[in-house]
Amino acid sequence: MANFSVLSKNQKVELASGKTATVVGKLGEGGQGIVYRVILDDTGEEKALKWYFRDKFNDARKIYNHLEENIRIGSPSAAFVWMEEITKWSDYESFGYTMKIFPSGYESFSKFLNSRVRFQSPQAMVNAGLNMVAAFMALHGKGYNYQDLNDGNFSINPINGDVLICDNDNVMGHGENSGVLGKARYMAPEVVRGDKQPDKITDRYSLAVILFMLFIGDHPLEGQKTNVPALTNKYDKRFFGTEPLFIYDKKDSSNAPVPGLHKNALAMWKYFPSFVKAAFQESFSQESLLQGRGRLLEQDWFHILMRLKSSIVKCPQCGEEIFLESDRETICGKHKIKPVGYLNFEKRSNQAVTVPIFKDAVLYNYHVDNSDDFKNVAAVILEKPGKFGLQNKTNRRWSVTAPDGKTFTKQAGETVVLGANFKIDFGNGNIAQVIVN
Amino acid sequence: MGMLDKIQISRRMCPVIFLIDTSGSMTLNTMNGENPIGAVNAAIEGVLPELISMNESNADNEIKVAIMSFDFEAKWVTGETDLVSPEDLKANWVDLNADGLTSMGAAFRELNQKLSVSHGFMKRATGSVAPVLFLLSDGEPTDDYQSGLQELKQNNWYKVAVRVAIGYGDSNDDVLREFTGNNETVLHTNDPKDLKKMIHFVAVTSSKVASTGSNSVSPDDNSVDPDDNTQKTAAALQSQGGLLNATPDEDW
Repeated sequence: MANFSVLSKNQKVELASGKTATVVGKLGEGGQGIVYRVILDDTGEEKALKWYFRDKFNDARKIYNHLEENIRIGSPSAAFVWMEEITKWSDYESFGYTMKIFPSGYESFSKFLNSRVRFQSPQAMVNAGLNMVAAFMALHGKGYNYQDLNDGNFSINPINGDVLICDNDNVMGHGENSGVLGKARYMAPEVVRGDKQPDKITDRYSLAVILFMLFIGDHPLEGQKTNVPALTNKYDKRFFGTEPLFIYDKKDSSNAPVPGLHKNALAMWKYFPSFVKAAFQESFSQESLLQGRGRLLEQDWFHILMRLKSSIVKCPQCGEEIFLESDRETICGKHKIKPVGYLNFEKRSNQAVTVPIFKDAVLYNYHVDNSDDFKNVAAVILEKPGKFGLQNKTNRRWSVTAPDGKTFTKQAGETVVLGANFKIDFGNGNIAQVIVN
Repeated sequence: MGMLDKIQISRRMCPVIFLIDTSGSMTLNTMNGENPIGAVNAAIEGVLPELISMNESNADNEIKVAIMSFDFEAKWVTGETDLVSPEDLKANWVDLNADGLTSMGAAFRELNQKLSVSHGFMKRATGSVAPVLFLLSDGEPTDDYQSGLQELKQNNWYKVAVRVAIGYGDSNDDVLREFTGNNETVLHTNDPKDLKKMIHFVAVTSSKVASTGSNSVSPDDNSVDPDDNTQKTAAALQSQGGLLNATPDEDW
């Protein structure tokens, strides 16, 4: 006899705290259980309640204890739709936990991949990547790992790129394992091969897959070689485990995208600057795929994506939004564009930090105060015939030094005219130098 | 196309193929008012929106459908050349009629023909995952089903398929079990009201397993053959039982 149960409308569920919640409807269901809409009886607040199919677990008590522990330690960041309260344990019935109801405005990542939803701007798309990376930086920083990272975990706001991460039940502390290996095509090759259980390092592989699909819109390992009629387990193991090959591998083009099939991969790759392409080539190198080595840390991705975000400008000829390389030519699709120079900051985590000197390129607080604030604008590049300026959007004073040693200060709202090798000191040791191309 | 104008990510096909017994015994019984073919029509039509919604949320695989009716002969109701999208089928839905014999052997042979990349339904450029083969019958086969089934059993798509069957009324469930190769994926009912629910439940569950079967693989799965998708479906049918579809006003 299966010892799961299904809740019905108006049923009361007792929480471990002694409080009760009343079931008012169903929100969805998955392989592990059903999610109900409930009302907390004491406050009247609406919550979601995930209620497990108990017979899915050999050791339900262990899962219960694990959830209790995750509630105790708490959410890594606001991006996680974290478990809030656990239901009271019973030897006979199932169990679950409450979490906040999903706010409106978010769409599942799958809908983006199925082109049912599109980002409103390149900034929103890059923000989504930054939000994902920041969330996993917080998660790993707290000693957790996710273990079952896939497209189904993310919901994204197409207007601003805000991200929510759900299905956090499998999140585990370091060295622990949930028993879940992950979803095919998102699992790290060493997990597919059976060499290893999921951990922080395998999470990083899955995160790189998600980022690739977010930006490029196809799977990083699906190309010419994976183009077989019957995708049985045997092939999945080969393509994603024992013989994986990146579709844009630097040395081996035998798994290149196929015209007519991998249309996004072919169309989108060319929009991305060299440093993003290099990051993906490193993430999906043979060393990474076969030995689990050289995967980018979340902080690496963060700096790379900040550089990407600050590279967004409009092609002056066709108005198309593009990612502009700082130090070399970019083709918008039709036109060749090269900035006159760029602002060069000190490297962060050994990743270059640059902003092209081009009309409307934006610097964020990240640049001027060394924070991880990628949303608030700190400076904008302006253009007048024959000159470029950097407008101070902060409330602090900047100090600018010319190569001849002359120093100027620029107050909030003022604009500094950019000259070759000028150094702009934003305070706290954050200095950018103007490099001429 | 601009950098935000991505198109649909390339997905594999997940074929969902219905083999429906449309023999004379499936028609409306004017004596007791039972109408099994009506229940079948309502059930399959009712499954389509669920398949559409599965497709919207699945970025790995896309469900495509084919329906075969078999009575005097086996006939692809949805066309001979390709599977159709659930959207198209919903928009162009035509009820099945029941009349004639139960040519199940012919149905198996015809299915075997179409489970082929070179001259059948499986020629998707991005490849296909294991199909769902859904068989519904209410009687004894009236032709040599054995030879057809033996041919089918050699087919590699058949081998990895999610095979499910529903027996109604006087069906020979032993034959259905021979078809699925798994006792747990054959369900039976004598009640046309149950029939509709059962079709819905089995079709939705099996389609979900086939189209998202690779989700959340756990190490325990190593104990079963990873390509035994019928057994995976048996487990899914069992863990959900009929409870998910139960309604409070339902007759016992």
